[in-house]
Amino acid sequence: MKRCLAVAGAAVLLLAGCGAQEEPQAADGPVTIDYWLWDTAQQPQYQACADAFHKANPNYTVKITQYGWDDYWNTLTTAFVSGTAPDVFVGHLSRYPELAAQSQIMPIDDQVTKDKVDLSIYQDGLADLWVAKDGKRYGLPKDFDTVAVIYNTEKLKDAGIKPEEMAELKWNPQDGGTYEKVIARLTVDKNGKRGDEPGFDKKNVAVYGLGLAGSGAGFGQTEWSQYTMSNGWQYGDKNPWPTKFNYADPTFKETIKWFISLIDKGYMPTMDIASSGVGQIDAYGAGKYAMVTEGSWNTKTYWNLKDVKSALAPTPIGPTGKRASLFNGLADNISATTDNPDAAWAWVKFLGSPACQEEIVAKEAIVFPAIKTATVKAQQAFKDAGIDVEPFTMHVEQGTTHLAPIAEHWADITATMTETMDAIFSFKADVNSLDQANATVNGYFG
Amino acid sequence: MAGIRWGRVAGWAVLVVVMLVTLFPFYWMLRTSFSNTRALAAGAADLLPVDFTLGAYRRVLGLSSTAEAVAEGGSSGTVNFWLYLRNSIVVATVTTAGQVFFGALAAYAFARLRWPGRNAVFTLFVTALMVPPIFTTLPNFVLIKELGLLNTFLGIVLPHLLMTPFAVFFLRQFFLGINAGVEEAARIDGAGHVRTFFRIVLPMSRGPIATLAILTYITSWNDYFWPLLVGKAENVRVLTVALGIFRSQTPQGSPDWAGLMAATLFAALPIMVLFAVLGRRVIDSIGYTGVK
Repeated sequence: MKRCLAVAGAAVLLLAGCGAQEEPQAADGPVTIDYWLWDTAQQPQYQACADAFHKANPNYTVKITQYGWDDYWNTLTTAFVSGTAPDVFVGHLSRYPELAAQSQIMPIDDQVTKDKVDLSIYQDGLADLWVAKDGKRYGLPKDFDTVAVIYNTEKLKDAGIKPEEMAELKWNPQDGGTYEKVIARLTVDKNGKRGDEPGFDKKNVAVYGLGLAGSGAGFGQTEWSQYTMSNGWQYGDKNPWPTKFNYADPTFKETIKWFISLIDKGYMPTMDIASSGVGQIDAYGAGKYAMVTEGSWNTKTYWNLKDVKSALAPTPIGPTGKRASLFNGLADNISATTDNPDAAWAWVKFLGSPACQEEIVAKEAIVFPAIKTATVKAQQAFKDAGIDVEPFTMHVEQGTTHLAPIAEHWADITATMTETMDAIFSFKADVNSLDQANATVNGYFG
Repeated sequence: MAGIRWGRVAGWAVLVVVMLVTLFPFYWMLRTSFSNTRALAAGAADLLPVDFTLGAYRRVLGLSSTAEAVAEGGSSGTVNFWLYLRNSIVVATVTTAGQVFFGALAAYAFARLRWPGRNAVFTLFVTALMVPPIFTTLPNFVLIKELGLLNTFLGIVLPHLLMTPFAVFFLRQFFLGINAGVEEAARIDGAGHVRTFFRIVLPMSRGPIATLAILTYITSWNDYFWPLLVGKAENVRVLTVALGIFRSQTPQGSPDWAGLMAATLFAALPIMVLFAVLGRRVIDSIGYTGVK
């Protein structure tokens, strides 16, 4: 059957004269730049940047395509295989090392030197995160993000908790500290009994004190990283470029054990609810969660929910006596397969410039742009929208940020850890199954 | 004064229950497609659309701005419906025409012609029925890629254009059942194999051929995996792939359920129409062949 196909295919090819190859576009004619991103909330602002870019360079048009985070990387991988990859796409710190190692993305050192791009305008340390193991630079920073608690002000009042209390919460892996007390207090069962009252029915919960988006796999950026790191845990032996990971570390295990105990006590939804197809944002908007831990990029989406009023609180202080938050940033990568490297670079440079970050992105108050002056503008824009983003920015000011893991083999690590963490969060496996998972993860590094 | 016929009542009751079970999912799709995705979580059990809006249909057809879509829990994802409908029709029609025609030729050769190794080849064919398609997917993909046919209609239809073992097997059974006397009469009148096939056998097998064509059409219409691998580009994207892409173009964490249901209803419409028009005819046509 296959031979049949080959013969037929060859015959057809002879007939068709092999016209399937795409002609590279002429460099001086109009060029369309394919650009991919994953965040719908940010699409309007980057569309505005694309329009401004087109105005400045009438020959260049940017076509934006959005894929949800859950599908983004798989879609990108298959696109590289089938030759339909975008010219430029939003990259991620944890993902770009692999793409760089496989030569799927283009280094931009020469262009940066040639166009004298000033790398000191970005928040300290952000630009160098995009220098890969080969010493080459692969992107210009777009934004940075941290994690905080978003809570429903109405439900806080009903529980008799004051907003001031929210700013000084502490947690520990033994009894959960004041943080767990607040979560328990905010939890309400179907009969109106609260989580800290006798007779609370953990099998029939109407409002969970703390929401859950998922198990977090090996990253846990908004799920558990703020606890593990405020308990003194680090992802690997060093960052960037760790050679071994610490998922089997007792500190990590005890933190996760405490975290999933919240599910068992009925204070946090089960994995079944978290993965039911109704996202954390919608469940919170429907009044089913009293508070959530979230990334700064989603703030505006929460404030746009019609039926709930929200406020921000910092992540709790852990056993180390400090708070902790992952510090992550995005940049745009250029595909090595692009037909128009010049146009792609022009667009990337524009995205990394004040013209886009300060004039457009900052004013939208969706993310914190990477350029220092633009960050200040964005904070003001958030304030104007009635959002005090101090709980997000305090991590940067107080130095309690921790870099997102920048490592090779991240896709494999994610696959392994998704399986293990999902099982642990569903109570199908013990936290000690992390020993095996960690051995598998470290095996990727030879 | 006839009493109530309980048997009939029970029959109707069962029928009504079965109808409800069958049709309720469709109703649920409709109800969801007229809802606001952002409000769905709050009214998960409502029988009527939650926060009624036509937004989902506007999103799917690309009539709403990204900002409007995001406010209702959607994204900028749209389904370029008419283009993808055209692509689906092209792929399904070409596949069906090719497969039925070449399949019929092959089936006739297996049923009526004598040639060395015929039975061995046929055994091979029937064996091929047992090979799960997933095993041939990867080699086929590599082949299509090497031929430079990714993202072309040709690449999408090629694997099933010439034949499938099922089509050959299915038609051979019918050709074997045709009265040999009819063909003998044709031969005495001086018709060769080709003429006999086109003038006598094909017209007599109209029923089974129509059945096979409709089955092939529906299979091809619903095929997802292969077109997803080789035909993602917009100009050859078929409806199933478009739906998959639309589903993945959603905000973090939760699919745009309302938009997805609206898009799915759109995509299912043509096949429903096909069934409504041709369904009865297919059923009637099976089992009737020339000589009684």
